[in-house]
Amino acid sequence: MTNTLETTAVSTSLRFEPHRRTPWDRAKHVLRRVPAWLTITFLIVVTAYPLFWMFINSLKSNSDFLSNPSYAFPEVWQWENYAIAWETGNLATTITNSMIVTFPSLLLIVILGSAAGYALEVLVFKGRAGVLLLFLAGIMIPLQMIVLPLFNAFYQLGINNSYLPMILIYTASGLPLTVFMMATYFRAIPREIFEAATLDGASMIRAFFAIGFPMMRNAVVTVAIVQFFLIWNDLLIALIFGGKRDLNTIQVGLLNFSGEYGAINYGPLFAAICITVVGILVLYLFLNQRIMKGLAAGAVKG
Amino acid sequence: MFTAERRRLRKPMLATAALVGTGALVLTGCAGGGGSAGSDPDALEFLKNAENTTTEPVLRALADSVCSDQEAAMPLEVNSIPQAELDAQVQLLATQDGLPPMFSAGGNPAEGAKLWDAGYLLDFDEALTDLGVRDKVAEGAVSTIEKLYGGAFNFLPFQYNIEGIFYNTAMFEENGWAVPETWDDLVALADDVEAAGYTPFAASGEQGWPLTRLVSGYLFRSLGPDALQKVADGEAKLTDPEYIEGAAAIADLGAAGYFGDNVTSLDYDAATNEFLTGNAAMIYMGSWLLGNINSDANQIGADSVGFMKFPAVSGGAGSIDEYPSNVGLPATFGANTYTDGVADWLGCIVENYGNEALQQGQITGFIADEPADLPAISQTVADEIATATDSVLWFEALFNAKASNISSTNAALLVTGQITPEEFMTLVQDALDEG
Amino acid sequence: MKSVLGDRKAITLLLTPALVVYTLIILVPVLWSFGLTFFTGNVLSGFEFNGIENFTRLWGDQYVHDAFWFTVRYALLVTLFQVVLGYGLALLYHFVLRKSSVLVRTLVFFPVVLPTVAISILYQKLFQSAPSDGLVNELLVNVGLSSVDWLGSGATAFVVVVIMDVWRSVGFYGVLVFSGLLDIPDDIIESARIDGAKTFSLFRHIVLPMSLPILFASFIFSINGTIKVFDSVFALTGGGPGNSTTPLTLYMYRTAFQYSDFGYGSTIALLLTIMSLIVTLIIFRSSRRDNTV
Repeated sequence: MTNTLETTAVSTSLRFEPHRRTPWDRAKHVLRRVPAWLTITFLIVVTAYPLFWMFINSLKSNSDFLSNPSYAFPEVWQWENYAIAWETGNLATTITNSMIVTFPSLLLIVILGSAAGYALEVLVFKGRAGVLLLFLAGIMIPLQMIVLPLFNAFYQLGINNSYLPMILIYTASGLPLTVFMMATYFRAIPREIFEAATLDGASMIRAFFAIGFPMMRNAVVTVAIVQFFLIWNDLLIALIFGGKRDLNTIQVGLLNFSGEYGAINYGPLFAAICITVVGILVLYLFLNQRIMKGLAAGAVKG
Repeated sequence: MFTAERRRLRKPMLATAALVGTGALVLTGCAGGGGSAGSDPDALEFLKNAENTTTEPVLRALADSVCSDQEAAMPLEVNSIPQAELDAQVQLLATQDGLPPMFSAGGNPAEGAKLWDAGYLLDFDEALTDLGVRDKVAEGAVSTIEKLYGGAFNFLPFQYNIEGIFYNTAMFEENGWAVPETWDDLVALADDVEAAGYTPFAASGEQGWPLTRLVSGYLFRSLGPDALQKVADGEAKLTDPEYIEGAAAIADLGAAGYFGDNVTSLDYDAATNEFLTGNAAMIYMGSWLLGNINSDANQIGADSVGFMKFPAVSGGAGSIDEYPSNVGLPATFGANTYTDGVADWLGCIVENYGNEALQQGQITGFIADEPADLPAISQTVADEIATATDSVLWFEALFNAKASNISSTNAALLVTGQITPEEFMTLVQDALDEG
Repeated sequence: MKSVLGDRKAITLLLTPALVVYTLIILVPVLWSFGLTFFTGNVLSGFEFNGIENFTRLWGDQYVHDAFWFTVRYALLVTLFQVVLGYGLALLYHFVLRKSSVLVRTLVFFPVVLPTVAISILYQKLFQSAPSDGLVNELLVNVGLSSVDWLGSGATAFVVVVIMDVWRSVGFYGVLVFSGLLDIPDDIIESARIDGAKTFSLFRHIVLPMSLPILFASFIFSINGTIKVFDSVFALTGGGPGNSTTPLTLYMYRTAFQYSDFGYGSTIALLLTIMSLIVTLIIFRSSRRDNTV
């Protein structure tokens, strides 16, 4: 870590004098890097410590948590807190539910959104600007403005007791931003590329699937990731349409979990949070590679 | 499980249908009407408020013993959600046809009555008569339920509580404090307690209602048992000076620091703990606290807990013998999920609940006909219940949902001086006027 | 060539699905919700027409005023922190850490993907003051200050909400702006350096102007999220103590689902929508002036 820092700091050094380094120069270099190091250390502590704090507290008994400083290590490492949390927190169900509502929505958003973005940016037709503006308006419409009529409608349809309302609302509410972002990305690609694709008899639809969508792979990943945590971390819709215990998402489940224990059972509560955090961490590390790859590829292109 | 599987397969079709349906609905713009009947439950799911910790142990004990056949056929599953969210949640579940077979409801009795009017609740008069266990419920409890919930026997009295002040007898003896008879004595006592280095009153400001209970307690003593009925009928307003006096009396306790530090963020469990670990001398609470008092969490010992009536206000119209009484936040059964299996459970619960609860040191609205060896404090409270001449309700009992919510969310601000008694009462009265 | 790009079949097939879903689930309900503002009632009890009563009530409702100002204060403050700190992070990643920024980026971004409720509970305990002190109060006590009942009064609870939401989201804005900075060609910066530009003027004249579009995008993204804040406040404070941390979104939720008044709930939602609309318009108007992209 320090080695890499060293080399980068040297390479980014703003001095362009191809002379020998005097010791004074070297000292100045080190000094110049101190603020950056302090900042980085601060960032790491502020981000990671609360999570670490939560982890050590998830292994404490109640009396331990209440009577000793919370930054101390547990007197007895109570791993059974995790078993208790898994049992009482209904975690298996809530994690499954979060996935059931998130992934289909993501898939729909990406496919519908990029197709619409392509149609609005690459193709030419009357009223194009109007439709794009209509989608744009959707970015700012708060979900509060749509939940009540939808609640009513889904209730009449008798589907309030399923995953459908959540999936439909997540998909629709994710579209505006996605269409807008995809249109922006397509703007960067010369139309000639698509036109050239159609010369050998392919239609614009083919051009989209054969060239447009693959070309946009990194953009799609970025969009999908943005939408992923918007949906994954939604509470409003999950609360309204997933209040039933077997429809609870992670968010709603945790909310109820905290209620069940109030202040009394800290260990299992922290354990439940840790479980959801670790799950997300694994997923995140896997996705993160993709994010960074996507951004790096974008940078190379740029 | 099977229905869920099937439903998943039909999803794509349903989605299309839903979209088309939404469109059609929008065109017709219809409203009202009810959902389809719920599917038959395969477990006895019981949705309760998290703050209720006494009902589940009794039900579990029943499931392990006399109701084991029912448990084998339909396992008992208990879920808890915070009381503050319960009414909203039940409303939502009702409209989604997702009410479990058994659930707690009506933190605001007005909301409970609404559910009854909409036909979501079981009529226990009829159901228990059919099951032959109607005589297992105490008439006093039934009349309290009818008084609160729209005139019908539509909730079950898993708790039947009187409220008063529990105090630490060991601490009182040690310091030579006497049990106060009047409000002024109580304030003087609180001052002595604080001087001795203890917190006079443990109360959860996070919940709020433990504080507003004191306001209503004061009002019932100063203005008489019909004080809040008058407000509900519009004959008096909370903003009248004699009502504001009640809020001011409690605000003064807070201003003097008698609720300790951090009353605002103290949650219910933590407040109970303050008392049961000997940090606080007194806690105003209902007899449901007996469950905690007789449990292992009690570090001062059940023998060190005494129970006193809410003191009289000098020159007031109310009597010290009028106990606030309630059926807790009662549970009920859904009308749409009342299958034979559920009925079987209901019969078994009503038949045996009273005795089992008494064994666990709780007092309920069910008849208990087996003598139990009660701890002294439980005996005291049971005797008080038996000899009480009259009962009153609590502060928010007759309020609408909004006034109730505003009352409990602002109570902590009242006792920490962040809002004045006038402001507090105005906020609540405004919400009442809206409804 | 026009004919190819105007391929009707393609337009229909590619655009219609998204447009239909969007229209049915968003646009129609918005209009419907607007219609609901003239009614009172809920799903259980049915609706009845009450004219403009909801609007007169909205005008005089102290709770709406409080919620409105809370929303404004929160949105402005959190957006400012998110964008400024995010920009700072991005500069750090791009110009100081360069290739080795991956680790820090990954770490600082991480809280973004955590469930809000989990973070809220964590922060409740971090800032706890009763029955025992949480980490923050322990630190305060250890440096000789007294512990604070953070969630016990509106002002301090507001601070906790802001700190939490900035902590939660700043990593995202860091990465967002960083990805924009990557588009600044290195050779421009190199050549400016060779011309002898100092760090600050380099930033002032090249980096800042070139990153304006991405800053602008972050700003839109941020204000759009913060004006609709719901989950973090709901889970952290429940809007309390009193109503001191209740944004419009939460007041609307309580009105509709706890006080069972869909009509008035829609009216509050409409106010929120108008707010979002005004903010968006202001941003676009101002961006036209100083954004030549």
